[in-house]
Amino acid sequence: MPNAESNSRSPSTTEKLISVTNLCCSRGERVLFNDLSFTANTGECVHIVGPNGTGKTTLLRTLCGLNGSDKGDIRWLGQPISLSDAFTHQAVYIGHKDALKNELTALQNLRFNQQLESIHDEDALENSLLRLKILACADLPVQALSFGQRRRLAFAKLLLYPKSVWILDEPFTGIDAHGRTLIENLCVRQLKDGGTIIMTHHRSLQETALRTYSKEVFIQPQESIL
Amino acid sequence: MNALLLNTLTLYFRREWQLMFRNTGTLVQPLVFFVIIALLFPFSLPVDLDLLEKIGGGVIWVSAVLATLLSLERMFHGDYLDGTLEQLLIHHRYLPLAVLGKVIAHWSATGLLLSLMSPFLCLAFNVPVEQIWVLFIGLMLGTPSLTLLGAIGAALTVTLHRGGVLIAIIILPLYIPVLIFGAGMLSQQVQGLEILSQIYTLAAILVLALTLAPFAIAAALKATIN
Repeated sequence: MPNAESNSRSPSTTEKLISVTNLCCSRGERVLFNDLSFTANTGECVHIVGPNGTGKTTLLRTLCGLNGSDKGDIRWLGQPISLSDAFTHQAVYIGHKDALKNELTALQNLRFNQQLESIHDEDALENSLLRLKILACADLPVQALSFGQRRRLAFAKLLLYPKSVWILDEPFTGIDAHGRTLIENLCVRQLKDGGTIIMTHHRSLQETALRTYSKEVFIQPQESIL
Repeated sequence: MNALLLNTLTLYFRREWQLMFRNTGTLVQPLVFFVIIALLFPFSLPVDLDLLEKIGGGVIWVSAVLATLLSLERMFHGDYLDGTLEQLLIHHRYLPLAVLGKVIAHWSATGLLLSLMSPFLCLAFNVPVEQIWVLFIGLMLGTPSLTLLGAIGAALTVTLHRGGVLIAIIILPLYIPVLIFGAGMLSQQVQGLEILSQIYTLAAILVLALTLAPFAIAAALKATIN
């Protein structure tokens, strides 16, 4: 059962926030990646790079606990994430799907996410929409929004509550240049505040505001079959 | 009960009702299906009031089972498609109680409404008033168990495009005890026998389902999404 007290632990100077060691994942009989190791610390943006089908999304889902791994381990402050309640309290995942209910309005969707964190702050809801420049969509049902607006709304959830780890799967897909800049700035703010980001993106981050914070982790295509 | 746990249950219950009111078709369909299936029998059988009286309770029970089954497929499938199911699985809120909130909301929109509708259907079968109460109590105790058991099947087939048939194959055998004791109450009543043992058995099945099914549903969802 969740234990709110476990949130209070903070990283020591030597301990990595997240460490992935010799991780191996497969889909069916195909090995996606093998012996993958990297660490992520506060203020770092880990950019997972690799061709299509090499398991970037699977890696993020494994980090979140949605998928299992064949071997290796993932640790949060030295503790396996499967045993760490603190990790589920501190991490937020935005995948390919926006996790929004079409029938509800933008505000209602955000309000539910806020309530899940036991927060009730109407001003914060409107402020998050304002920061993503979709305040005009506040009372529209999500099914009436464009793909880009839905993506912005998905990212507005990140502003509702402070989470130290953002796990983002292709965060800039379907978003125009202005929206991309907004999201980059959100990410930079998160990193400056001591947060951590692990993301996949098919293009380099060197031309973005994230370049000074990012470190790349390459996933090599595997030939082997289990 | 811990306030946060109770809040998890009520939060998901309220959200399900909010979604169902936005999509009234989901509320009406099982109810209309229930009425139509039950009414097909009086139309297709010889005009014999004694025969209708004898089979009425059983027909209404089978119609309730089929209507419950029809509604199961959408219990988690929409959440799977829009990504909210993934968020539910990785969130720190206690998963069995979150799914229990969803299941109770689902039952109140199907099983509860079917039970409330059943006295009116009894008129079409010439069922005596004293048996109408027996049928109503049986359905009120039996339909929550049907929904809880069915939710396990819905969780196991959540990723399938058309999982309805598979749910029926998995779940219908599990419905047989509920059907035997529910419909059995009516025949006992007709013969002037005590029906308390059937009521207690249905209540025991409900307590068992209420206690164990949320854990089974949560485990099934995790295993299926993995």
